[in-house]
Amino acid sequence: MEAEKERTDRNRKSGAALLVEHARRPRHKNDWGVPEDADVAIPGGSPECGGSVVIYLKGDADGNVEWLSWTGQGDTISMGATSIVVERILSEGLSMQEVLEMDYEGFVDSLGREIIGSRTRHATLGLSTIKAAVRQYQRAGRSGGRAAV
Amino acid sequence: MTEQEIQEKGYANPDALVSTQWVAEHLGDTENVRIVESDEDVLLYDIGHVPNSVKVDWVEDLNDPLMRDYLDPEHFANLMAELGISPDTTVIFYGDRNNWWATYALWVFGLFGHDNVKVMDGGRIKWEAEGREMTQEVPSFARADYPVPERDDSRIRAFKEDVDRHLEARGQMVDVRSPGEYRGELLHMPDYPQEGALRGGHIPGAANVPWARAVREDGTFKSADELKEIYEGEVGLSQGEDVIAYCRIGERSSHTWFVLKYLLGYEGVRNYDGSWTEWGNLVRAPIER
Repeated sequence: MEAEKERTDRNRKSGAALLVEHARRPRHKNDWGVPEDADVAIPGGSPECGGSVVIYLKGDADGNVEWLSWTGQGDTISMGATSIVVERILSEGLSMQEVLEMDYEGFVDSLGREIIGSRTRHATLGLSTIKAAVRQYQRAGRSGGRAAV
Repeated sequence: MTEQEIQEKGYANPDALVSTQWVAEHLGDTENVRIVESDEDVLLYDIGHVPNSVKVDWVEDLNDPLMRDYLDPEHFANLMAELGISPDTTVIFYGDRNNWWATYALWVFGLFGHDNVKVMDGGRIKWEAEGREMTQEVPSFARADYPVPERDDSRIRAFKEDVDRHLEARGQMVDVRSPGEYRGELLHMPDYPQEGALRGGHIPGAANVPWARAVREDGTFKSADELKEIYEGEVGLSQGEDVIAYCRIGERSSHTWFVLKYLLGYEGVRNYDGSWTEWGNLVRAPIER
């Protein structure tokens, strides 16, 4: 019982530390301005509740993710989780289809269910907006035309 | 800021606030005082908090996990006991976002009659800006004796039926959401229609005063004169009237409720926590844009 509690506490601390580290030093966040060559720029969330992001997506000739970046503001969970998911998609070279197939529950589990609790909306803000960006890109017929919302 | 400066701001109940200096001087008085951090950003407490403070998470600790309601008296008593809070303990709330969630927690405590409550003026941002001590150490207090209280929602909480009656009587209402929400331009967040409303706008007759207008840049509350200028001068609320405040789910409006009730002395102010997620989804509920 005590060992279980210690393990949970340890997992909680390391999961929280990862989110805090990403929130403080976000990856692929473009604070320098809007990338002009993005195929899609799409907002998500609410600055009044948890956080808001804008996802910028550029597709390649094969319909895969050429690059992905973001900007936003919000709490540690929403900003940290957005940074983590963008880094994961890019480092693993996921296709757009694989991005759409990413499981929200699985992503929350990977962050640490004991940290996220019922704030799953904060944790999946980035991922859900990325999926919306991919769908927007696909609806636009991969035309390369910018589909800002 | 000191207690003297809080006094000089002219509030109806200046004792509802304490200064960061007061808190710094009472960190060791854990027998009589419990400092409670309540944030929107739930990981802030892990990053660092006021020494000897405990965390109350409004989502996990104050809500019923199944029904849309707050915790019941048994769970409240147990939460208090775990935090080492007895009915006589003075509870000092502070938090992020200009004490938004601190006032929400304070309002929920009020449902159970725990009225020995105060807010640290300026909240977490002021404590940090002043370079005061922060720690990651989570304190542990002996379990307190907290008899199961009676919950009385009628004093400070409004339900939909109360709003109906209030509307019929042309009572005063304040919508504390952003102007875009008030005008009905924003219904919900992308991909989360379940957290939005089917209709946008506001309850007929409600005035719009975004909640954060009550605070200064340093996170402290504006003076009574400045607040009166906004709530009475600009939108015509009056102290002797019953007033209902609302937002999306009742959290932002708890901040305005605190301002009206404690700082301006409105006895008849209630928070409609059903707010727009209830009203904007109700069949045939009247709406203005």
